[in-house]
Amino acid sequence: MARIVLKMFMSIAMLLGIVDFVQAQVNPEIQLGARGVMSFNVNNESGETTSAVNDFSDSGILTGFRQKLYNNYRGQLVIGFQFPDANSNLGQVFFHQVFVLIENKSDILKMGRSRVRSSLIEFPTLRDDDAIFLTDVLNPFSAGDDTEDNQYGNVLELTHIFGQRYWLTVHGERYRETPIPPAEETNFDLNGIGFSFQYIVPQTQTWNRELLKQVGVSFNNFLTDRPGDFNTFDRTLKNVIFSTILNIRPDPVHFWDLRHQTIYNSGFSEVATVSDYASMTRARNVATFTSLRYLYRKLERPAAQVALSFGYKTFPDLENSTSQYQLLANAFYRLGENFDAGFQFQYIAFNGDLQKLFGKNETRFQVGLVYSIDNVWNDQFDDRNSLLNLEHGYIP
Amino acid sequence: MKRRTFLKTGAAATTAALLPSTLLAESTIVANRMRFPQPLIPEMDGDVKEFQLYIDIYQHEIVPAFKIHTLAFSDQVPGPEFRVNRGDKVRIKFKNKTELNHTIHWHGMHVPWRMDGVPYVTQMPVMAGQEFVYEFVAEPYGTHFYHCHWGTLLHMQSGMYGSFIIEDPDDPIKKKYPYEREYTLIYSAHDVNFIRRELNSMLERMKERMYLMKTGRFDKERFAVFNTKEEFQESVEDGYQPPYVVNRRAPSELAQPQWFTVNGKSYPSTPNLYIREGENIRVRLINAGGEEHYLHLHGHDFWLVCDDGLPVPQPWQMNTLRLSPGKTLDIIIEGKNRGIWTFHDHDTRRVTNNGLYPGGNLMALVYEDMPAEEAAVDMMARKMGLTALPMVALDE
Repeated sequence: MARIVLKMFMSIAMLLGIVDFVQAQVNPEIQLGARGVMSFNVNNESGETTSAVNDFSDSGILTGFRQKLYNNYRGQLVIGFQFPDANSNLGQVFFHQVFVLIENKSDILKMGRSRVRSSLIEFPTLRDDDAIFLTDVLNPFSAGDDTEDNQYGNVLELTHIFGQRYWLTVHGERYRETPIPPAEETNFDLNGIGFSFQYIVPQTQTWNRELLKQVGVSFNNFLTDRPGDFNTFDRTLKNVIFSTILNIRPDPVHFWDLRHQTIYNSGFSEVATVSDYASMTRARNVATFTSLRYLYRKLERPAAQVALSFGYKTFPDLENSTSQYQLLANAFYRLGENFDAGFQFQYIAFNGDLQKLFGKNETRFQVGLVYSIDNVWNDQFDDRNSLLNLEHGYIP
Repeated sequence: MKRRTFLKTGAAATTAALLPSTLLAESTIVANRMRFPQPLIPEMDGDVKEFQLYIDIYQHEIVPAFKIHTLAFSDQVPGPEFRVNRGDKVRIKFKNKTELNHTIHWHGMHVPWRMDGVPYVTQMPVMAGQEFVYEFVAEPYGTHFYHCHWGTLLHMQSGMYGSFIIEDPDDPIKKKYPYEREYTLIYSAHDVNFIRRELNSMLERMKERMYLMKTGRFDKERFAVFNTKEEFQESVEDGYQPPYVVNRRAPSELAQPQWFTVNGKSYPSTPNLYIREGENIRVRLINAGGEEHYLHLHGHDFWLVCDDGLPVPQPWQMNTLRLSPGKTLDIIIEGKNRGIWTFHDHDTRRVTNNGLYPGGNLMALVYEDMPAEEAAVDMMARKMGLTALPMVALDE
């Protein structure tokens, strides 16, 4: 016991010593990303109309600090927050990204709060969560009060990149449990594990004009069998995601792409009805979402975009025939670099058990402005996916 | 062993250990020759000297542990040296192996105007994969250089420059100051972050533009190339945003060099000028960068004998000269003061690597016939474990 105490003391002393010797002359790269989404919404939920004059949810700031380490490694700290949806019980702001990352040419280790692997690709929607029931695996530990539960968690992720384009990731997550059980506030055990394998064409090589831009498969295993971890059933909850992005017409002026993702949630055969959020996440289901996007580019920059998306979700094991579909259309017009005016229309219909939870249907019109930036100051080194590094030899 | 023999042997061993042996070793002197521009060997086609030259993207080491992506003529920074006689007929077959546009301007030479290498003025740019043949008669005598004239700010500091020496068998300088050895020193200054950012950006744009060119969709505004000023003016009146406005593509700051090179290298990789007592050497100074340099030689005066390649009416004795961007100056150094002498920019900001002194264009004039005992190091040096004067010191 004495030895353990002494060892702990030594560790603390060494840590203090390291802190004492922090040198100030190494200037990191400083990254700033910011996005403001302001929209006027009109909602009609099963015949009842409401409106929001100014919805700024999903607006947020990301700050990053990045520097070279010894032996060709790089280190990064990212801290970001966003304004969550109203009534989300997340407070005024939510720290959605707080992580440290270490990487070299072919490996990336990420630790902290960040985007969980609940989906493999992004879709052209006004806000990230506009179709989240169809685009993401739903968090079975959540009460469903906020969409952030499905998007962000405490993650431990290790990625290895083969030949620039093949990304193999193994990951473990601590998904948020809501409402937070008082006894679990200090529980940071992993409650999800999984892996994914993706082929990704780097964004910088878009004008190589290949048809296939991304294809990926992912497996997630929610550890729902642990005592206290919403363990209604003594089994884990598994799901598989398949995704692809096809450059239908990779033209620099009139660009078309098609995105598709299918999520298969194995569920538990015992779940025969969906009566709440927990049972919805535990019922076997298949969700697909597809987007067709047209992008008009003028002067080598995006000038306008139109997208049409459709998604469908079905629960084959339920006693009542239950499904959900969603139609989503939007258009954005660029007012200036980084600044867009947008319009979005959504129609969602629920059948079977889902009607009891969400009503028969929902129609939403949104008109808004979006301003997003992504800047680097004091830049010192190149990105892994720059054309110089990809096509002319990587420089650490 | 007799005491006298022992003392003699011991003294010899000590002296040998204390020599700046690496600096004066034959192997060092031979290796140093590679730190000067390497001559490009022509083939004769009738009475024409025909040269093959290409441009490609290349990884270049400025100093150990610091590499950048550069644009390199025939995989060399600076490019290979052309050396012809006055009046020679010269043909240079220039092949563009990059995905960027280029031209070659023959700086200070009296070439036909169609050979002057100014894009859209004397010729169309040499596009990806294309070859352009430059032909001219080598005039006038003297030290000149060549460089890319497309995207000049970026392409020159990325490495696209080299020396062009036009000799005269009846050389007036050689008559006045007989010499056997001569050296070419090409100065430049590099904002390596600007180079990296802009090269990546240009490569991305060119991928897009080449596709449009191939499909016959040249667009004046997209390419920022107009037939007339009136046409350009009309476009602006119709709302066209030229690339130089900040809401289009202009960066907020000009390039700020952090690396200062001689023959593509910074100290401690800069070349040495070797000389012998009583010898004259000719040094051809070329400023292919965008910064002024105030070059000062320790322990000597030197003769300024040529300005822009032209012999000056009256050689001027000095020990510090100003080398402006685009200038070539020839100097004669007389071996009159045995030793190892530094030759450097007296704007000491240019004697730094990434802001840290010493570095940059710091170099040395070395008397290779210096007696060994003159280079003996003192007691302190021996205590530091040095066996010779340390020619590489990286920190103050």
